[in-house]
Amino acid sequence: MNASIASRTLRTLAAWVVVGLFFFPIYYWTSVAFKYGNDIFSRPPNLFHFTPTFDNFQKVFGISLGAGGVTVTPGGGNFFMAPRLWDSIVVATLSTLVAIVIATLASYALSRMQFRGRHHFVNWVLSTRMMPPVAVAVPMFFIYKGFGLLDTFTGMVLIHALMNLPLAVLLMKSFFDDIPAEIDESAIVDGASRFLIFRRIVLPMAKGGIAATAVLCFIFSWTEFLFALTLTTTGLKTVPVVSSTFVTSIGTAWGNMAALGAASIVPAFIFILLVQKHLVRGLTMGSLKQ
Amino acid sequence: MQAAQVRRFVISDHPLPWLLPLVAILLVFTVYPLFYNIWLSFHEYAPRRRALEYVGTSNWAQLWEDARFWQSLTITFAYFAVALAIELVLGMAIALLLDSDGFGFGFLRGLLTMTLVIPPAIAGMMYLLMEDPQFGVISYFLQWAGLLDPAHPILATASTALAGVLLPEIWQWTPFMVLIFLAGLRALPREPYEAAMIDGASQWQIFRRITLPMMSKVIAIAVLIRGIDLFRVFDYVFVMTSGGPGTSTYTLSLYAWQQTFSFVKWGYGATLSLVTLVIILVVASLFIKVAKVRW
Repeated sequence: MNASIASRTLRTLAAWVVVGLFFFPIYYWTSVAFKYGNDIFSRPPNLFHFTPTFDNFQKVFGISLGAGGVTVTPGGGNFFMAPRLWDSIVVATLSTLVAIVIATLASYALSRMQFRGRHHFVNWVLSTRMMPPVAVAVPMFFIYKGFGLLDTFTGMVLIHALMNLPLAVLLMKSFFDDIPAEIDESAIVDGASRFLIFRRIVLPMAKGGIAATAVLCFIFSWTEFLFALTLTTTGLKTVPVVSSTFVTSIGTAWGNMAALGAASIVPAFIFILLVQKHLVRGLTMGSLKQ
Repeated sequence: MQAAQVRRFVISDHPLPWLLPLVAILLVFTVYPLFYNIWLSFHEYAPRRRALEYVGTSNWAQLWEDARFWQSLTITFAYFAVALAIELVLGMAIALLLDSDGFGFGFLRGLLTMTLVIPPAIAGMMYLLMEDPQFGVISYFLQWAGLLDPAHPILATASTALAGVLLPEIWQWTPFMVLIFLAGLRALPREPYEAAMIDGASQWQIFRRITLPMMSKVIAIAVLIRGIDLFRVFDYVFVMTSGGPGTSTYTLSLYAWQQTFSFVKWGYGATLSLVTLVIILVVASLFIKVAKVRW
């Protein structure tokens, strides 16, 4: 069995090397967040031997870590980004909520009720996923301008909810399809209304699926760029859009940008680990059920 | 309507009340913008009158003669084809590598999902730093290996800029393919493999004759979903090169966006974004038909 052990070791080694290569940029970026300027701009690149610092995080979050523990410094400075994180959190949370409410209602009907054109309806929902964001953002800019929705939370929440609807509807439908329809039918025989069945029986049974859908909607809103770039100016700005703020006339503040970037990855990564089980189903909008 | 009537309608078996919120938001946010875009494509902003003017089909006629449109279409297609091919092949290879119950493999699969949650705009900035000609780590190693001339920075040279933008794209989305393919591989039945082993088939034959055909549905879905996103690429080019140097990395989405918001060519920008939409819709619908993808 010597050959088998050798090939297994080789395979394990190859796997670690390949995943290591994919992980390297994340390590490098995070290390930049903890570096002083001279370690960032060194040549050859300084990968491991640098003096770590919290300076970048302190500037971005408006906190200072001194002898007396964490103190909040009054906000300010060009790179103070705590409000931008807050904007991102509000937009992602509310748009997820809107998308989930609308999608669960619709996908329950698509999963349970027979009606003419149901197949076409599903295809129509799917086709809206094919719209390039720029084809929506350009007209939406003018429409929002007319309704005073530019640069507002309402506008951003609505557009992100819309962006996530095809995913949420198709994914929730696949989760509802997993719940046997006999449960609904026996409840109807007992005299329960559709809405009661939906609220009391089907929704609780689909809890895991709803959570997975919500996490994916949150992440897609969290990482969205084009709508946020086009439909906001000063009132609110999400994290992906503010990266240009760090590019100044005296050079790019890489350390501060890396601190914001690294901090913005952490919550999303924890979230996605929580739904690992449903991840593939989510990434394929419910069409693969593993 | 009386309250009781409304209630009876809502609790009845009719799907309309359930679908109404979805239909309303899709009409307002996709159908209305679509018609607005079509209307806009027959108009153009007149700076002197500070208003939109009807220009007939001149925007559409301009499309045919606009060399920059054809260039951005070519660039978008090159970006799409190269990224899709590399992500497919690399994704399949890594999925086959990681398809093991050995110690640590679950951890490695989890680690690989990390790239998917990074905002593409931030990933673009990461690679902007790493491809910097002076202190970027990727440029440094390429120069050290003699593969890159220090006088020609990756993103500032027309011939390599698109490759520089493709790097974060491939880095971020190959794991997407890996995860989907891994799920497909794990769901395959064992029997055909056992039979092939008995018949003494080679590893390549097994992959070519058994794994690939059985994975065709999974591959089709991965191609469809990734392909749609690739054709509307915007984030990486916007933050990394803004279309430059010159016009060498202008994708369709970026060109449409720039016409609207930088050049105040609202009508032409709308025309370009409509063309992008039509190409994606036609190609994706054909693909769904041919590959028999179903939701």
